Parts: sequence; structure tokens; C-alpha cells
Amino acid sequence: MPSDEGLLDRFVDWVPTTLVFKCVASWTLVPYWARRTSVKSLPGGPPPSSRHGDNVQCMMNLIMPLKVKSPIGRAEAALAIAQSQDAIYAGLNNVGTVHFARFVIVGDNICMFSVYDGDFTNYIRDFIATIGEVFNEVVKLVEDGEKVTPCERNVEAFIQWIHERDLYQVPDTATDFLRDQEALNGDRAVSPVNDDLTLLPRKMVLQLRANKNVSLGSGYRAYPGFSVAQVRKQLGLGW
Amino acid sequence: MVDTSTAKRLVQAIIDNLEQPVPGRRPVHTIGIGVKGEFVASDVARAYCIAEHFNGKPVRVSVRFSNGLGGVKQHDGWSDVRGMATRFHISGERGNDLIATTLGEFFVRNVDDFFEFSKIAKREKYERRPWWRKVGDLLQLKIPPRNPYPNETENVDEGALRYANRNRFAQLGIFQVGLIGAPESYARASYHAVHTFWVTDPHGVRRPVRFSWQPVAGVRKTNPKAVPHEKYLFDELRDRLQRWPARFMLMMTIGEAGDALDDPTKPWPARRVRVAMGTLTLIKVSEDQEADGERISFNPCRLAPGIEVSNDPILEARLGAYEVSREMRGGCPFKWR
Amino acid sequence: MFKLADLQGNILRGYTNKPHVRYLILEVVERSAARRWLADSVSGRNCVPQITSGDWGEKKPDTCFNIGLTYEGLRALGTPSASLKMFPNEFVEGMTARAVKLGDVGRSAPENWPAPFNEPKRVHLIATIYAEKVEQLDVVQERALTDVKAFKLLDTREGYNFPGDVVHFGYRDNITQPRFEGVPDSQRHPDRQPKAPLGTVLLGHPTNLEGLTWRVPQPAELGHNGTFNAFRVLKQDVTGFEKYLDQAASYLLEHPQRDELLPPGAEEKIGQGLSIEGLSRPAALREIVAANLCGRWRDGTPLALSADAPDPNADLTDFDYVGVGDARCPHGAHIRRCNPRGGQIVQRIANNSRRLVRRGVPYGPPYDPANPYDPAKPGDGDEPERGLLGNFIGASLGAQFEAMSCDWLNLGLQDPRITGSNDPISGTNDPDTSWFDLPLKSGGKIRLPGFPEFVSTRGGAYTFLPSLKAIRFLGSL
Repeated sequence: MPSDEGLLDRFVDWVPTTLVFKCVASWTLVPYWARRTSVKSLPGGPPPSSRHGDNVQCMMNLIMPLKVKSPIGRAEAALAIAQSQDAIYAGLNNVGTVHFARFVIVGDNICMFSVYDGDFTNYIRDFIATIGEVFNEVVKLVEDGEKVTPCERNVEAFIQWIHERDLYQVPDTATDFLRDQEALNGDRAVSPVNDDLTLLPRKMVLQLRANKNVSLGSGYRAYPGFSVAQVRKQLGLGW
Repeated sequence: MVDTSTAKRLVQAIIDNLEQPVPGRRPVHTIGIGVKGEFVASDVARAYCIAEHFNGKPVRVSVRFSNGLGGVKQHDGWSDVRGMATRFHISGERGNDLIATTLGEFFVRNVDDFFEFSKIAKREKYERRPWWRKVGDLLQLKIPPRNPYPNETENVDEGALRYANRNRFAQLGIFQVGLIGAPESYARASYHAVHTFWVTDPHGVRRPVRFSWQPVAGVRKTNPKAVPHEKYLFDELRDRLQRWPARFMLMMTIGEAGDALDDPTKPWPARRVRVAMGTLTLIKVSEDQEADGERISFNPCRLAPGIEVSNDPILEARLGAYEVSREMRGGCPFKWR
Repeated sequence: MFKLADLQGNILRGYTNKPHVRYLILEVVERSAARRWLADSVSGRNCVPQITSGDWGEKKPDTCFNIGLTYEGLRALGTPSASLKMFPNEFVEGMTARAVKLGDVGRSAPENWPAPFNEPKRVHLIATIYAEKVEQLDVVQERALTDVKAFKLLDTREGYNFPGDVVHFGYRDNITQPRFEGVPDSQRHPDRQPKAPLGTVLLGHPTNLEGLTWRVPQPAELGHNGTFNAFRVLKQDVTGFEKYLDQAASYLLEHPQRDELLPPGAEEKIGQGLSIEGLSRPAALREIVAANLCGRWRDGTPLALSADAPDPNADLTDFDYVGVGDARCPHGAHIRRCNPRGGQIVQRIANNSRRLVRRGVPYGPPYDPANPYDPAKPGDGDEPERGLLGNFIGASLGAQFEAMSCDWLNLGLQDPRITGSNDPISGTNDPDTSWFDLPLKSGGKIRLPGFPEFVSTRGGAYTFLPSLKAIRFLGSL
């Protein structure tokens, strides 16, 4: 054991691991720093890219808070989905670019998690064309949903509304996360700069205050780089 | 081609930053252990690359695991990059080398950046941060730097951080180094070759790729809060290989137009096509460590026909730097192709 | 319903007898003067050229004049913000902000665009003049700029329609345009594609996607019967293209399946179809490659109808990618990517939903194969810039132009056999990774690797083409 380690040193090393410290810091330090440094909410969805591998197997993490925050509200949402099984399956088959999709109720939120190919707006727009009715039934149960239903008559607004509820995907590397924050503020410098990497924890905390729900990383893929139709064709299933 | 004088300057810059020079041994990755093994390519490897070791026949392999820090003092338990240098022994006494480290990206883009880095990131005194400064960090929602290890008096962390704060391209590499920790075993870490190579397939199509070794036993690091042990990796490997063989999968990621092909500071996204090229089985620790641990000399540009270098400036520089270092320590020259 | 007289003429008509076209890129100087100009343009008062409508009545106009406004332009004119908010996102952001989506990266990135497109916020109004003779263009331009307080001229772009509708790269273009329900069919060629609903090209009408309508910016006079245009300055590397055809031909001459691709003696038939005597085998292979990259032989014959040789008697657009037409036209060919017609595509809902009205004109001097540009020779000067001034018109930029560009032209998501490759002619190609499959009669294929990018973007803007009522409305703000 290093002999220079005093009682205070050990205490200061131990404090940040305690629950008490984390709670107190959340109530006092976080709001203080949030006021000092404004952090804008980062947009959802995968970052735009022109490369093929980045445009297949994209993740959508849609979180929609229900209007009625109780088991009744959740049951309503569950029923709306259950009654539309046929429509949902037909729609997903015909959009043709969805690898996986599922509706999940978490807390008082109806969520949709899916893996799709290609551009986000095309995917949602094609969905509106095939299962618009289902969307209308579900979205009318969601907070602020009446603004954009019926979705067939408010296509652009609906797509924007969905985009706003699609979670920000925290990049796989810490530095890409810093770049995202910088890009939002219009800072695209590479070097020479005057950064402070030790501020990363604070930047992360404040960003997670602005974006309450996030997706961590771009996600794991067992066979990245292939579209739905490519996989189906390769397996001889018809596309 | 990086000329010899630049290569010599590169090696000298590394040697100058050591605690003490280590004549006759590698200036970095000084501490290492040689291991024998066998590589068998997967059934699809030959469709992507015509190099001999991917044709499916088992190939004898010599591997050297190492600790990144330079110097003769062994600190297995310290947070440090680990190396895995592999030579595939192919026909005609030739070899194909694949040099990989646990750090997935480099922290400089080219030779000039590296000299700049060496000037800024010099060994400095590293002491425990005073408690009242740590309180200041916590109040600013920062994480205080780690306490020095027992017997650790100097390191380059502060200098590297200064360089990273000034150059965004260096930030990922330096940030990752800070978190890298110590593996429980050399056989329980992922090693990445970082640089892009071009592989040619039987139809003549060339693809830009990056290689990684993934441990079948999985990645496991030691507890960073516990007191680090100085020497445990060599014995661990000997014991492990006596009980059961250790295996690694060779994963090859195929890059796309627009990816950073020649920039080693930028990792490729996890969304690129990933091909399982084969399995490496480590059989036993070499008896002759002098030959298989010290004199053996790898070079990242020693490549079998079917694999070529990219225009990555650091890869190019390593060709010369490794040769210079080999000469300086009397390492074994090896038949080039 | 709608009256042709309410629309701007260039939406549904091609102005085929006015081959000279000039685009004036204008910036609003003073708001009220600009509004007056717009009000005057509806009837052609005070020297301002009259906007050509879709209904010419008895007399054909000497020259045609049409305008398009960018979002910044609408803002500069003082359009109420409640109306501005109703314009679609992609239009508001502007073409430069959509660069990654459109594949405008590398050389084509907006950072590399020349003036005036490097300052997108200043591009407010793009006026187009169509004339039979070049001098007429100058006359109309002068009239349009008489009031210096209304608009400032930032720059012009000019093009000329080659005879026979040939464009750079040597293809015959402008063969197919969508035919619309409720619009007299001026199509010259029989076309088995279904008539497109009016909402494909005009706001406020039913679209091709069942039940969906695009938002019409209010008030109705502003948005109704308006449409959107993606104006693109597309530079074509003609020498690069011709060089590539040479390269591909030599590659194919050595290929083991060469005789299947070009049976011995077949070069004569190809030569006959193209009216070239004594066509050699390498030259025939060049034409085969050119035809497959596009989906039409250079004379316009669609591969879907006549894959072995061009046929002047073949229907130009009466075909579909079904049956034989499906197999012999490459899935990744340019015209097939842009418009898969009734062919099998992954996004089954989207057949015929991304159609565009295309009004384009080539710019730059014609390429003379006898005198190709040789950078090694002094005195050749600079290679003249050549390309296409393209207008891609549709009621929804996002659902039509952008959707086609990002998922079909680049990436090739509509067919797993081409996913992972870009359009060979206009895609963002890199010689290290590009590929294209040539189909063989037997069902096999030959893969062509390593072609560079032939088309790069040198400017552009998303414009709103207002109806005449809307122009009056803007003039009276």
C-alpha cells in the first residue's frame, strides 16, 4: 500500500462510489452545471451517412408516452396493437425493408423498436401508405398525438413527429459523442483546438439530462451490411 | 517509402522517452512471450483472399504476446496496451506477419503528427492527485485521474492528454489508452491490427480490410480498483495452455468507399460486413524464448502475395521503423518475399 | 378541379421548339419591388416577361418564361411565417443541407459548388427563359432585370438542346414523361405505364400512394396547384465516360463469356441499328456496355424490348420490366433504377410512386470523339465543362426525388441483386469499390468492376413552382 495515502485521500476516493453522493450531486451539481452550460437535445435516429453499410439494418427506437398513465391506458394500447396484427404484418411485408419490429410497453410508454433498411422518411412514409390506420389508432392514445392524426393527411408532420420521438443513438466511441455535441453547435474544427477531455463525464451527464432516453451505441449485428431482400434471397425464401 | 533517416528518428524518439535505454531489446513491447500455435482458415476465407494461409490447410504459427510499455521492469497489472504479433509460416520459408494490439486505433495520423506527439507527450512525474483537487474535480462533475500504481513515479499520461486536447484526431486513441486496463490473460483480450490492408480474391477483386483477433474465451480485464500484480501473465498463459488450448477467431472487416482507409486514428463502424477468416489455436509456450520471444522480428509489412499494404502513412513508417529497431537489437532478419 | 391556365407551362409541357434555355439565378433586393415584379409577371406588364402558363390558347408564345422560388426566396418576399411553416422540411432546409442524402459527397459536396450555389441563402428565385434563338434569351433577360430594385442577378446557366434530344454521353433522352389523369395526352410514344394521378406532380390532388396527400401550404392560393422542383447542375465527365467504355470493351474482349455477350457477327446488326457502317467488335462492345449501364441503347431503344441490338422500329417506351424485359435489362441500369415501372421491387408499395417530370437541357459544347481533350497536349486549353441542367419535378421532394436518389440510385435497395452498388452513370462511384452486373442471355452475368464517378453535382436548389394564382398572391403580399 502506498504510504502517502492518508485518511482524507481514502475518503475522497470512496465518496463518489456512494449512493448518497450520486443523489446529492444529481440534485445540486447537475442543475447548476446545466444552467452554466446549455446543452441542446441531440436529434434521434442513426447519423446520416452515404455509405451502404450504414444504410442497412438501421435501428429505430421509438418511445411514445401514453396519455392515460395507468393499466387502463396500457391495456388500450395493447388492444390497439392486438387488433391490428393482420394489418401490421401485411404492412411490414409490403414495405419490404424491415428486418425486425416489435411494439413494447415500458412504464407508461408505448414503444416501437425496429431494424430497417434505407432512409428513415421513406420507411415511415411507406408505412403510412400501408398501415396508416394502425398508426392512427395507436397515436391517438399518445400524448400530442392528435396533432398529427390522421397521418395520411399529415404525412410530413407525422414523419417529423416520429423523428422527434426516435431516440438519439449515442455513438460507439466517446469521441464521436463529443463530435456530435460540437456539430450541433456548429464546431467542426479538427486541430489545433483547445478541448478538455476531462470534461467528458460532465458532458455525458448533461446530455443525458437533455435526452432522457437514449440508445447506447449503434447496436450489435450478427451479419451487418445486408438488406432484408439480400438475406431472404440468399436463404432462398423469395423477396 | 519512408526513408531510413526518418525511420531512425522515429525509433530514437521512442527510445528517448524511455525510463532507461534497453540495448539489445525492443524499445517498446520489451516484455513479451513467444507461443506456438496453428491457424486453420474458415471455408470462406479463400473466397476473399488468395494468400496461402487462407487456403484452408492448417498453417504453423508463431505468436508473441507483449506488454506495450518499454523497459525491462515487468508491470503486468498496470493499465497498458498489449500486443499480439503473429507469423503465419507459409511455404518456402516465407512468412506473413500480422501485428495487432489491444488498442483499436492509433493516436496520430502520420509521421509528422508522431514527432509532434513525442515532443509534447514526454515522461513526467506522476503523483497522487491531492485530495482537495479531487474534491474540485467531483464538484465539476469530472472524474479524477487514477492513483499511481505502487512504484509508478513517471508516465506520459499528462503529456498525451495535452496533445489530445489540442488535436481532435488523437482523442479517441488516447482516451481508449486511458481505459485499457490489464487483461486477466493474454488469451482473454481482443487484438486489432488497426491498419487497412488490401486483399485480392481469386477473381482479382481487391477489397480494403482490417483484421482483428477475437478471443474465444472472451475478453476479461482485472479489477482496476484492486492492487495490480507485477508478474502474472506469463505463468497464467503457461498454466492455461497446459490445461486447454486457447483459441482466437480472425475477423476481417471489409471497408467501403468513403471509410477512412488510410487513417489509423479512425475505427470503422461496427456496421461493416464482417467475415470470419479462421481460427488460431495456441498450443504451448515456446521452450526457446530467446529465439521465439526475443530474436524473432515481426514487420507489419511482411505480407504474403494476396495481401498488400494501403497508403496508411503510419503503416508505411512502421516498415522502416521496425527494420531499424531490429537491426539495433540484432533481431533475426527474415526472408522477404 | 384544375385548369391548365393556372399552372406554369413548364410543368406539363416540354417546350420542344425552344431549344435554347437560360436560367437566371436571382436574389431579392427590395421586398416591395420584388412583389411588384411578381404581380407584373402574371400579365407581362411593365416590361417584366409574362409567365408562360400551361394553356397557350390560340397563339404560341415566342419565348417562354417560368420561375421557381426557394425557401429563402419566399422568406425574402415576406411570405407570412404561418405559411412558411407549412412547407416541407426538405424544401426549408434547402438542397445543400440534404447533401449526404442525395449522395452529394466528395467532389459533389456543396462545399465545392461554384458561385452562386456556394451561398445558398442568397439564391431566391430561379427564372428560366426558353427561346428558339439565342438572341431572344438576351432580350428577355434584359426585360426581366429592368427593375434593379426588384432582383439582382447572381449568375446564369445556359444550355442548348441538341437535335434529336441527344444529351452528353451520347444517349437520346426525354423519351418518357409521366402521363397524367385529366390532362390531354401529348405523349408521342405509346406507353403502357398507368396514368399517374395528378397529385404526383401538383399539390392538392390525390397522390399515387393510396389515401395520402401532401400538405398544401396555406392559404390555398399559395400552395394549391404548386409543385416542387429539384434544380441540379450536373457535370458530366464525358471523356471519362468514353475512356471507361474503352476500358470495359478491352476487359470484355478478353472475357471467357465474350461470345455469349456479343456473338460473332452480331456487331453488324448493332451497327445497323445505330446507323454505323463497319462497326468493329470492340466498338460494338462499347455500345453494349453503354446500353446496359443506361437501360437503353444510345439511340433510345429500350433493352427491355430489344436487348441484342438497337432497333429503330421498337417502341420507345411501351415496355415493362416483366418477363423477358425483366431479365435482359440489368436491374441496376440507370433508367430502371430511376423508374422501375411495374417490375419487382423490394418496396412493393412503391411501384410508380416516385415518378418525376424531367425537364433538362444539356450545357457545354458537344463532345467530338475525333478531337478528344488531351491534357498532355498544350494549346488544348481547359477541358470545357459539360453536363446537364436538370429539373426534377414532383409534388413531394421527399417522397419522390429524394426517395429515389437515396434508396434507389445510390445503395440500390429496391433489388437484392444490386444492393450495395450505386447507379453506374449518375451514382457516387469509387473505382475501388464500384461494380455493375451485365446480364447474359443464358441467365448468367458478367461483373464490370472499377468505374469512376461520371456525374458530379456543381450546384442546385430546391424550388417551389407556384401556380399563377400563387404568383398573384405573392405579388399582392
